[in-house]
Amino acid sequence: MRIGDFKASYAHDESLLTTPVQRSWMLGFALLVILFPWLGANYLTYLACLTGIHVIAAMGLNIVTGYAGQISLGHAAFMGVGCYTVAFLAKMGVPFYLCLPAGGLASALIGVLVGIPSLRIKGLYLAVATLAAQFILMFVFREWDGFTGGVRGVNLPPAELAGWVMDTDPEIYYVIMACAFVMLLGARNLFRTYIGRSFIAIRDKDISAEVLGIDLFRSKLLAFALGSFYAGVAGGLMGYFYRAITPEHFTLTLSIFYLAAIIVGGLGTVLGTILGAAFMALVPEVLRGIVSLITVWAPDAMALLSPMREMVFGALIICFLIFEPHGLVEMWRRVRRFFHLWPFKT
Amino acid sequence: MTTRRHALKGVAAATGLTAMGLPLTSWSQAGDLVVAAAPPITGVFAFAGVGLNMGLNDYCEWRNEARGGIAGRRIRYISEDSAYKMDQAMAVFKKLMAAHRPPVFYGDSTAWAKAAAVEVSQLGTTLTCSPSFASDLADPEKVPYYFMAGPTYASMCYILLEYINSQAKGGNKPTVALVYSDTEFGRDPIEAAKARAKQLGLNVVQEIITKPGSVDVSAEVARLRRARPDYVIFHGYVLAPIPEFIRQMREAGMTGTQFMGTIWSMDKSTAEAMGPAGEGWMGVMPYRYSHDVKDAPTMVTMNQFAQKRRPEIKYVSTFYTHGWLVGSIFAEVIERVLKANRPLTGPNMKAALEGLSDWDSGGISGLPINLKGHQIATGRIYRFDANAKLFEPASGWIRTS
Repeated sequence: MRIGDFKASYAHDESLLTTPVQRSWMLGFALLVILFPWLGANYLTYLACLTGIHVIAAMGLNIVTGYAGQISLGHAAFMGVGCYTVAFLAKMGVPFYLCLPAGGLASALIGVLVGIPSLRIKGLYLAVATLAAQFILMFVFREWDGFTGGVRGVNLPPAELAGWVMDTDPEIYYVIMACAFVMLLGARNLFRTYIGRSFIAIRDKDISAEVLGIDLFRSKLLAFALGSFYAGVAGGLMGYFYRAITPEHFTLTLSIFYLAAIIVGGLGTVLGTILGAAFMALVPEVLRGIVSLITVWAPDAMALLSPMREMVFGALIICFLIFEPHGLVEMWRRVRRFFHLWPFKT
Repeated sequence: MTTRRHALKGVAAATGLTAMGLPLTSWSQAGDLVVAAAPPITGVFAFAGVGLNMGLNDYCEWRNEARGGIAGRRIRYISEDSAYKMDQAMAVFKKLMAAHRPPVFYGDSTAWAKAAAVEVSQLGTTLTCSPSFASDLADPEKVPYYFMAGPTYASMCYILLEYINSQAKGGNKPTVALVYSDTEFGRDPIEAAKARAKQLGLNVVQEIITKPGSVDVSAEVARLRRARPDYVIFHGYVLAPIPEFIRQMREAGMTGTQFMGTIWSMDKSTAEAMGPAGEGWMGVMPYRYSHDVKDAPTMVTMNQFAQKRRPEIKYVSTFYTHGWLVGSIFAEVIERVLKANRPLTGPNMKAALEGLSDWDSGGISGLPINLKGHQIATGRIYRFDANAKLFEPASGWIRTS
């Protein structure tokens, strides 16, 4: 039984993984991530890639909404900006490791513009302003044929690194996971800095934050820029992943999907982002797997069970919100607390 | 031990072939032939997806019962709901491809077809199809392993325009208005339709874009009233806002205007749902309706099997017919490849598909089918009779170039 952590230096106190147990778990998880394409089938690798992209995008939204308290309903459109920028540059022969940050920067620029109203409005009003951005950007995606390919969309060449063409899921998997690792690490560290803490202060009480000397306008725009940067990189990865992109990929439904992911996972936490994105991406697959198993014995049950699956998924989200409003991350923390004192009662 | 050794040899051979860049054949070279699908059984396209899934499933069952499968091998139909979501459709695709490597796969949408085309081209093992009739998918060069069991949306508009042109009286050509939704689906054929109308000398007097499922269309109706077209072609909708357009225009006294649609707004159930506005609704349909069985032995067989297999169904929909036709094309292609003693690879199936020239569908289409261009560029104009609640032919079968 572990009863406490003894920290003998500032470096130890500042480290992200403070105990040997945490480091062991993280090492095991890192090994699993590295070996996953060899362990799992192509289908599981596909799901892992999709989850990785969702995690990055949801992290961006969690920075804006969960940490800085600025609601955004235009997150999918920011992904679209990143994706189309990447597609445009990739077709001009720019390597993927430059395309992805460029896509993020383009998205961050748009994010700053969309974030400008956040100084004057907040709450539902800001939601409507970002919703307008979603529709305006969708209109641009559909109409700007020369850049986006219009409604027919664009095809991307595969990512390539020193002659290594990453045109299969297991190959692009490593790019996605590397990006996810770097960006989650960045987010985790961000909230140990002045900038990150200013976001939290604004979320908790913007007037008090201003009294404390935080530049509200700058901080809010920075939150939008960072959140959109994450979305842009996720959009670019989505482009390299599917390699055929149409405006239908970046609809309002996807924005709401990410909002649901961070609420279910836990607002204002990195771990909650991962859990929420994984939940939203994988639970429908698990439910469909169950339906498929049942239809082995009752082939005609699919027409009945498939709609039920959607209802079960919706009910699961509602149940989480009712019984655990702090999200999956709080459930995880309870499990951890239980094992801290196990086998003694907590 | 022998099994293990065989398995290892297989893996080594497969790895070697892949390394050499040779296409792998589908895993169903021996034993059952897998027909895999990700139909949209739920979601916004479920109105058609349920019927498509039934039709494809029933064709496979019928084929096994009546003809012992294909070249002596039974067909196994495996499908999972895509919910009409691209990421889910791709997940089903990846899952079924990894588990079964089927020679043929039926997807759910244009977005799926475009995304899957990248992987299918790389694998070179699988022929694909879906309910999408997007014009840029009928391209044997760019999308070599995809075909559509019907005309592209552009071809559908050509058929409509051919019919409209044939209705010209004297030297007066009818005028046309195009009303379409602001979606990829809606915009797909518009430029091609305008170009063809110009070729035929038909004047497109109005062009209106709406949101899919719009409710308030009074401003758009006012524009149509001013333009006074003889024909209004709707595309990119299933139902709304078509009935509202028709109702308001008829109330405005425009009883001479004829309203027309394309495939997804042409099922009997859709026309019935239009209510009074459905009377006289016309459009293009690449297949016979299930009540039209004259000179169509396959339609009789299909109806009988549907009746036996699914007695709860009162009317076999055009979606079911589409699924049945897709199944029969899959089977024909596979049979031709197997009979030629060739492996079931993408290139071989593509060649077999493009060899389907003057192929008899048994009456599902009124003209012999030609799939050289990866589409069936034929169709017929039907008109809805609200009293009989049936679509009746308004023209002969039309083939477009």
